[in-house]
Amino acid sequence: MSTLRSVHDFVTLVRDELGLPIEESDLDRHLDDVAGWDSVHLLALCSALERATGRSISLPAVLTADSLGGIYATAVDR
Amino acid sequence: MTRTVSVLSAASALPGPTVDNATLGRRLGMDRLWEQWVDAFIGTRTRHLAVDLDSGEIRHTLADLAHQAGSRALDAAGVTPEEVDLVVLGTATPDRLMPTTATVVADRLGIDGVPAYQLQSGCSGAVQALAVTRSLLLGGTARTALVLGGDVVARFYDLTADLRKLPPAEFVNYVLFGDGVGAAVLRVGEVAGAAALRSAFTRLVGLGREPGATLEWFGPTEDRNRPAATEDYKAIERHVPDLAAEVVEELLGELGWARDDLDYVLPPQLSGRMTALIVERLKLPQATEVSCVAETGNNGNGIVFLQLERALARLAGGQRALGVSIESSKWIKSGFALEGL
Repeated sequence: MSTLRSVHDFVTLVRDELGLPIEESDLDRHLDDVAGWDSVHLLALCSALERATGRSISLPAVLTADSLGGIYATAVDR
Repeated sequence: MTRTVSVLSAASALPGPTVDNATLGRRLGMDRLWEQWVDAFIGTRTRHLAVDLDSGEIRHTLADLAHQAGSRALDAAGVTPEEVDLVVLGTATPDRLMPTTATVVADRLGIDGVPAYQLQSGCSGAVQALAVTRSLLLGGTARTALVLGGDVVARFYDLTADLRKLPPAEFVNYVLFGDGVGAAVLRVGEVAGAAALRSAFTRLVGLGREPGATLEWFGPTEDRNRPAATEDYKAIERHVPDLAAEVVEELLGELGWARDDLDYVLPPQLSGRMTALIVERLKLPQATEVSCVAETGNNGNGIVFLQLERALARLAGGQRALGVSIESSKWIKSGFALEGL
């Protein structure tokens, strides 16, 4: 059962799991412009998304996203 | 007085079997996502480790590996231990504080009655050792030197750690590094078929800069208030390509060589992906890259010798090569130049 039911849940997950103080307004920002973001966070976020959704996530697929919103879409729109 | 120092040979010693990302990931409790991440962002496929992953036992010391590499380099050069009148070893991870690994290795090789120096150094250590040796040889202190460099980082691997809970600055160390030692034999004068070491320099550029990497005397399982090893990979990504480009410019300027004169380039070996980015930044398309980090991991003080071993096998008479190494600890840039004889 997925605990990721909305964008709000996703923002909470990023804040709790990665410790990044993002808001919903940050979701469309390019990843390079998200304060504190780096590639290690991508791994932690994908792992957290797998746990939250109960689904397997392909990192190469996530790599096509250039924003947190894009990553969220990849995680839920399968 | 001669102005030439020749590199007669280079050799290496890597511990145990090749450890690929799948094997390392399984042992560290990491999954398929982690492997995909390592492929995409680190680009290092394999490494060798002094620790046996199944038992956790450390099976190779720095002295063991340095002994092997040193023996191989002497054999390849056709030089006997009695002919060696200088030993210099660079490492960040000596087996003990005393006696130095340099003296232990000299003893195992049957070298005695000569200066045996050990440099406490990081990724620029091999070039530091080459630069110090070159100066001593040109200054007349010695004629034939055995130069070594390497690291055994295995004792910084906490195989019980939950990688998912480690901060990024500690987490990345588990995939970047490998264990290994390299060695070279240097001799005063021009030796046909060898490579002239035309230049070797190191320069501290860390004034007012925070260290980009730290490594403590203690291991990760000891109860201390700070981590045993950290890596500020963001600062490293930002500064190392520019510093590497500066080293190339400085060497070319010093030697009066043109970019088109270069046949080989030995770039900094941070990880498969970072090294590829640095090579792009160096803009030396005509020079063949000599790299091994994707297969060996970053061996710290050892990896320049591993590159040197590969370069010497290919460098023909009259061909030119530049080597670059950047140490992100307190920020040291270093480089050297070779010319086939």
